[in-house]
Amino acid sequence: MQTEATPAQADVSEFDLVRRCQAGDTEAFDELVTRYRTRVFSMIYNMVHSEQDAWDLAQDSFLKAWKSIKRFRGRSSFYTWIYRIVMNVTIDWLRKKHVKGAGAEFDDATQLRQVDPASKTVPKTEPLPYEMMQRDEIRARIEQAIAQLSPQQRAVILMKELEDMQYHEIAEALGCSIGTVMSRLFYARKKLQNLLRDVYEKI
Amino acid sequence: MKRFEEKWTAWLDGQLSGRELAEFEASLPDKAAAEAEKTGARKLRQLLKDQLGVRALTNEEFFSHQIHERIAQESGDVSPASGRHRIESSTWWTIPRLLSAGTVSVAVFLVCTVLLMHEKKPTEESQYLTQILNARVDPVISPNATVSIFEVKQDRVTVLWTEGLQSLPADYAAK
Repeated sequence: MQTEATPAQADVSEFDLVRRCQAGDTEAFDELVTRYRTRVFSMIYNMVHSEQDAWDLAQDSFLKAWKSIKRFRGRSSFYTWIYRIVMNVTIDWLRKKHVKGAGAEFDDATQLRQVDPASKTVPKTEPLPYEMMQRDEIRARIEQAIAQLSPQQRAVILMKELEDMQYHEIAEALGCSIGTVMSRLFYARKKLQNLLRDVYEKI
Repeated sequence: MKRFEEKWTAWLDGQLSGRELAEFEASLPDKAAAEAEKTGARKLRQLLKDQLGVRALTNEEFFSHQIHERIAQESGDVSPASGRHRIESSTWWTIPRLLSAGTVSVAVFLVCTVLLMHEKKPTEESQYLTQILNARVDPVISPNATVSIFEVKQDRVTVLWTEGLQSLPADYAAK
């Protein structure tokens, strides 16, 4: 995942920037925004699939972060902390907009007897013609598939597969247990494999 | 005690090792199918990375600026250290400046237009000229009437030469 700041830069001055923010320095906060704006926007976009909504939600997330920066104790990285805010804002928005995944059968409450984890997944959708396998269409297929996940499943799979975050970081960002993260990841992957197998097998 | 979903996820992500790994793999009813699923999960991850990746944020500077503005609005203070002053002087002043510049431009344009039109308008047009030209010569009453107009521009004089008029037009006569 591309970042706007190198890890070294982040390690050296992030703590200092946070301290300055807590003292009311908006220029320090501006620096933090510059570091994380692309990642935050990108993550939100992949959850809501709308540039304008992603922009607004990213704005709201950073504003919320500024308002609560004094409560940041530094127990986690600023990155994990702001992701928690981002996820709260975005998941709340998705709930309010009733953009719920159609995959109710893949909710965490689903019992193992309903889904055989070792079963071979079969694509449910018609395979795309070869000539239609262009980048935009593939992306549209992926977005449609992700839209069928619950907001929590979207958050988990995107943080894991795109951001390479660890289970405990995701758990912290979502305010849930590691077991819940792994369970949501399990069902999200199953669902996406079912929906996208024909896509990734042909590439 | 981990549930099957958790173990499966950990196995896919290579988080199982040692005895835990051996026990889990031994519990799988169809190892080949499970390996195929693992490969599928890896391909799915690659697909997501390749196709989604980083979504470029267009107009990044405006994004930051907008946050700055919202923070300034929320806090309501003007502190040089906060950078609000810089933003106001660089951006918010441009709007009234643009408005005033536009107003001045329109005013100048209107003044110039009025002046030009005023200059072109004939101010000392002969009353006779107007009256004669507006009065049609009736061919029945004055069949041989001809009207010629001569203008000497340097002197701003207009000469009317009429021939064959048997009577003056009624409008002219009335004046």
